[in-house]
Amino acid sequence: MTLYAYSLLSILGINIMLATSLNLISGFCGQFSLGHGAFYGAGAYAAALCAVAGYPVPVALLVGALVGGALGFVVGFASVRLREDFLVVTTIGVSFLFVGFVRKQKWLGAEMGISKIPASGLGPEGNAIMILLFAAATIALCLYLNRSWLGFAFRAVGDDEQAARTIAIPVSTYKLLAFTIGTAVAGLAGGLYTYFTQFIVPDSFTFILSVTLMAMVVIGGLGSTWGVVIAAIILTLLPEAFRFINDYRLLIYGGVLMLVMRFAPGGLAGIATSVTRRLRKA
Amino acid sequence: MTTLHVESVSIRFGGVQALTDVNFSVQKGEFVGLIGPNGAGKTTLLKIIAGILTPDTGRVMLEGEDVTRLPTAKRVRKGLAITHQIVRPFRSMTTLDNTALAAGYKITSNPLTAAFHWRRSQQSARAAEMLAKVGLAGLEDRDVSALPLGNLKRLEVARALALDPSIIILDEPLAGLNHREAERQADTLAALNAEGLTIVLIEHNLRELVRVSKRLLVLDGGKMIADGEPEHVMSDPAVREAYVGKADDHAAA
Amino acid sequence: MYYVDLFLNGLIFGSMYALMAIGLTLVYGLLRILHISHAAVYALGAFITVIVANATGSIALGMLVAVVVSAIFGMGVYRVLYQPMLRYPPYVAMIASIGLLIFMEDAFRIIFGEQGLTFTRNPYPTQIHNLFGITINTVQIAMIVLSTICLVALALFTTRTRMGIAWRATVSNPTIATSFGVDAIKVRYLNFMIGSALAALAGGLIALLNNFVEPTMGFVVSYKALAIIVLGGLGSMRGTLIAALALGLVESFGTIWVGSYLDRDALAFLFLIIVLMVRPQGLTGAHA
Ligand SMILES: Nc1ncnc2c1ncn2[C@@H]1O[C@H](COP(=O)(O)OP(=O)(O)O)[C@@H](O)[C@H]1O
Ligand SMILES: [Mg+2]
Repeated sequence: MTLYAYSLLSILGINIMLATSLNLISGFCGQFSLGHGAFYGAGAYAAALCAVAGYPVPVALLVGALVGGALGFVVGFASVRLREDFLVVTTIGVSFLFVGFVRKQKWLGAEMGISKIPASGLGPEGNAIMILLFAAATIALCLYLNRSWLGFAFRAVGDDEQAARTIAIPVSTYKLLAFTIGTAVAGLAGGLYTYFTQFIVPDSFTFILSVTLMAMVVIGGLGSTWGVVIAAIILTLLPEAFRFINDYRLLIYGGVLMLVMRFAPGGLAGIATSVTRRLRKA
Repeated sequence: MTTLHVESVSIRFGGVQALTDVNFSVQKGEFVGLIGPNGAGKTTLLKIIAGILTPDTGRVMLEGEDVTRLPTAKRVRKGLAITHQIVRPFRSMTTLDNTALAAGYKITSNPLTAAFHWRRSQQSARAAEMLAKVGLAGLEDRDVSALPLGNLKRLEVARALALDPSIIILDEPLAGLNHREAERQADTLAALNAEGLTIVLIEHNLRELVRVSKRLLVLDGGKMIADGEPEHVMSDPAVREAYVGKADDHAAA
Repeated sequence: MYYVDLFLNGLIFGSMYALMAIGLTLVYGLLRILHISHAAVYALGAFITVIVANATGSIALGMLVAVVVSAIFGMGVYRVLYQPMLRYPPYVAMIASIGLLIFMEDAFRIIFGEQGLTFTRNPYPTQIHNLFGITINTVQIAMIVLSTICLVALALFTTRTRMGIAWRATVSNPTIATSFGVDAIKVRYLNFMIGSALAALAGGLIALLNNFVEPTMGFVVSYKALAIIVLGGLGSMRGTLIAALALGLVESFGTIWVGSYLDRDALAFLFLIIVLMVRPQGLTGAHA
């Protein structure tokens, strides 16, 4: 395989991790986050600092996940106890704050970012395999959680918080847990990204990235792990296949988000369900 | 023994004084009816008891313990179950799953426990039992979005019963049921009460209420205006005033 | 007079935030939708102002056209996008709204270019006046005057006219409309019309002040307006106004005190988090 193919596979794996972990937060648990890119960025920067300081790969990745999850916990704690719509607003804020903060920090390289990050030592092929293994593990985690009582309760919280409370579910704890797990996975993905590019800048983690990830989740179908994986693959590969798409990427994402919400709010998964239902009837 | 004790509870929404200095207690094993015209504050009182709303003043005690500051989920674990007047099923689940999730309250009360459990058979069996009790047998696998209101009202009751409560407060559970169904549902409640469950029933269906409850509370304009045996309360002039004077309201409910 | 200037500057920005955020509060109060694409209406207003002003030579005409077109556009967004989504949970409309914002901002970029547009003739930002020792330019004076007129008119409308009273009541409790004998649908259109007109006015004024419009000008403002309505207690017009002015002042003073650690746009977020930690119900809101 070519270098290009390995890099494409790596990006694909990272996007799958980001989209499915966001789906865990928004799809399973009904919490809308538009700041997933910031937790990913926090993980990337944390891992980069560790790598530059000479720590081994597993330590840097672990620190990336911990920093992403810890930041997620703090942001979640500040908003989850409050009103339902606060999380959306605070996470949009985190997107802007993260980039705004990092740009001004000399120790994080400010606008220029962090370069000369040591290689993982696995080579492009090894990196891609490592990333894909983590992506597979994330998918497995999501599938498992969705079948467990945790996922069962998440769904109740997503459906109706007050009703969930009246059947003894401590809603805030569940929301906070979903948010912390999801942002830790995003932090881990950030660490993987650091080793993949060996060069990170603040502009890789903007609000636009967060919206793109939300687009993957919504187009795939909120709550459907496989739907979201498929959407992540499509939205990652299409702009690569057709250059003109890349030039009009946001126009297309925005338009598709509107159209999907207007005509098929269940996304790809919703379409698949209604098609199979119709086939069964016929 | 006092299961539920409400002490000088008041609450105000903007310009509306919804409850003013409400006091009452419910003893273990009682079957109490709570009536009052629309807007009297019955649902608000239920929400305060359940911890969905916090009163401006006063306290709520469960089994002798002050729970005024406790979140809803903790009160439910102490044995309080409620049903919603405006039904709130989990829309993405079947009837059975709605109830099974409630039956798994011991597992779901801690998310870490929940993360390491996946088998549902025991809770599903218990849920099926509760569904049968309220007359929903055969509808276990239905999507709740396709159910008529009467059935959703019963689902509310099944879900509450699956929590193994020691006291249950029901907000107009008979609305949407026809004459015979309402009678059967009231009988089911009476049977549960005979087995030791403490029940507070908010209802507009006075016929059933007077038949099954042994004590009536009357709220009007946010104040508790009567408390006693059903026959006695129903002949109280103040209650007749509150009710008969607003007969139109009552019919509309 | 340094602090007085900062204070005035804060109030001026605050009044623009208020014009922008009121529409958001209105939509949230009425429909429980986070109308994030409101920021695109703001950018639309700014672009139209520049284009019409450059074509006709009249900035006033540019702003008038911007306000009218944006008001119609806002009502269109309700009719075409939100209305069919009201039967779904509120996130559906919110995501669609984000989609619209991204779509429009990118459309502006494709049509007008990355660099944006400038006025061919706009002397106002450089006309400096000295009032009681305070330096202020013509655009800033226009901002103060126009936002005061709009907010006072809005206050009069919602307290003195039957339609306005019903409207305000409906925003704080959507089931009330019918009991007032007011057509709930009409109230919704009115909502989008007035909210969008105010946002377009703010967009046009900011364009004048900066002498410049760019495709992404809505992003940061969209977030700040959201922060403001949360600070204002979600759904309260008075709270929104206070929160908008407070944010303007915090940014104005914050930039000089902590500007080297955080950029101006990140300050809004910090302010939001701190306030919510201390007062979860927002600056003015009553308990939920
Ligand atoms: N969240 C709320 N905000 C404002 N007013 C409320 C709210 N909930 C209830 N009310 C008012 O409180 C009063 C009591 O309502 P409620 O408890 O629902 O009465 P009931 O259940 O007896 O019909 C009514 O006047 C109602 O309009
Ligand atoms: Mg009621």
